[in-house]
Amino acid sequence: MGMPAKPAVTLAIVAAVLTALVALVASFTRERIASNEQAWIKQRLDALVVPATHDNEMLEDSIDVLAPDLLGSSQPVKIYRARRGGAPVAAVIQSIAPDGYRGPIELLVAIGQDGRLIGVQVIRHNETPGLGDAFESRDVHWLDRFRGRSLTDPQPQRWTVRRDGGDFDAFTGATITPRAIVKAVRNTLEYYQRNRQRIFDQAAQ
Amino acid sequence: MSARSSHHFGSTAQLIAVCPLLAMSDTIVDALGIGIVVLIVVPLATMLLAVLRPRLSDETALAATMLTLAALVACAELLLSAWFSDLRNSLTLFVPLIVSNLIVVQHLQARHATFGATLAGSLRIAAGIAVTLLPLGIARELVGRGSLLHDAGNFPGAWAGWAETSVFRVDMGFLLAMLPPGAFIAFGLLLAARNWVAQRRS
Repeated sequence: MGMPAKPAVTLAIVAAVLTALVALVASFTRERIASNEQAWIKQRLDALVVPATHDNEMLEDSIDVLAPDLLGSSQPVKIYRARRGGAPVAAVIQSIAPDGYRGPIELLVAIGQDGRLIGVQVIRHNETPGLGDAFESRDVHWLDRFRGRSLTDPQPQRWTVRRDGGDFDAFTGATITPRAIVKAVRNTLEYYQRNRQRIFDQAAQ
Repeated sequence: MSARSSHHFGSTAQLIAVCPLLAMSDTIVDALGIGIVVLIVVPLATMLLAVLRPRLSDETALAATMLTLAALVACAELLLSAWFSDLRNSLTLFVPLIVSNLIVVQHLQARHATFGATLAGSLRIAAGIAVTLLPLGIARELVGRGSLLHDAGNFPGAWAGWAETSVFRVDMGFLLAMLPPGAFIAFGLLLAARNWVAQRRS
């Protein structure tokens, strides 16, 4: 073996070449990945808030807010706003149910300007296949029961699953998942109630 | 190490290397997806390292190997997110975990084998993994969900959506088949069947 510095130099060259390769692939795919993500979110936003009810581009009219207690995440979460002629129509809050059975459940909660729920979607979760994921297979209409509800309908103490004395049915085979979702939706409504003005007034980011 | 003991280590190591990938055999589409990724990434990694290895000293070989494998898997993940984002979302962290297979495959390579032999060996291992995952995917999806090719519209693509078939309607599904233990049970049954066939032949 020659000079002791040689292996280090070889390694540095290998590392530099590989870094360049990854950077190249990353820059080459960045735009496509970003547009995939945008299309993915847009599809869900359109499913929640009927596109005909608003005339702005919700994807571009979003803000990041931080509310660990009510929105379930120590990181900022996104709020997308729907407006018609500049007037608020609805807000879609990307909140998190932190106490799912197997980790956090990411939600999109669409709330009308009047504080009534337009719809709820689960966008990411780790719930047990076949049991806790019933809302996307066995009982696809389960999430529909939130539509039209508000903080006062049902009464605050009944904003939970039937088993805990509330108004919401759990699905067969799982209690923790529906309980976590109901609680998160309720908290999101509460956040909206408290911050309604700010949610629509804050400039888009 | 004698040829015999290294052969023994080989089969055990291969068995262990399959484990992280077993998690992706709960549907045919996932099994097919990860199988194809393995079939592309493993031989590619082997070729790259075969070119690199003679230029490396013993002290840097390990670090350089790890860097190469990590870089390759990172690229694979980026390309998947760009062109097959639905597949990428359902494979989650198991794409980066292919690194564990790569390390085992790398370990199995004879130090002074020819380039062709190295490539053939890695292709054989990759094909073995892909071919193992497919029957597991078929069995687990059929037993667990009562369907075949569920989500085929996501991968290979929308044109394959027609292939999604519901064989029988299940209410709760057979959970065990869908959960991770189901993968190990199905894998065990597959190995038993293979041994049974091998025994009958001899």
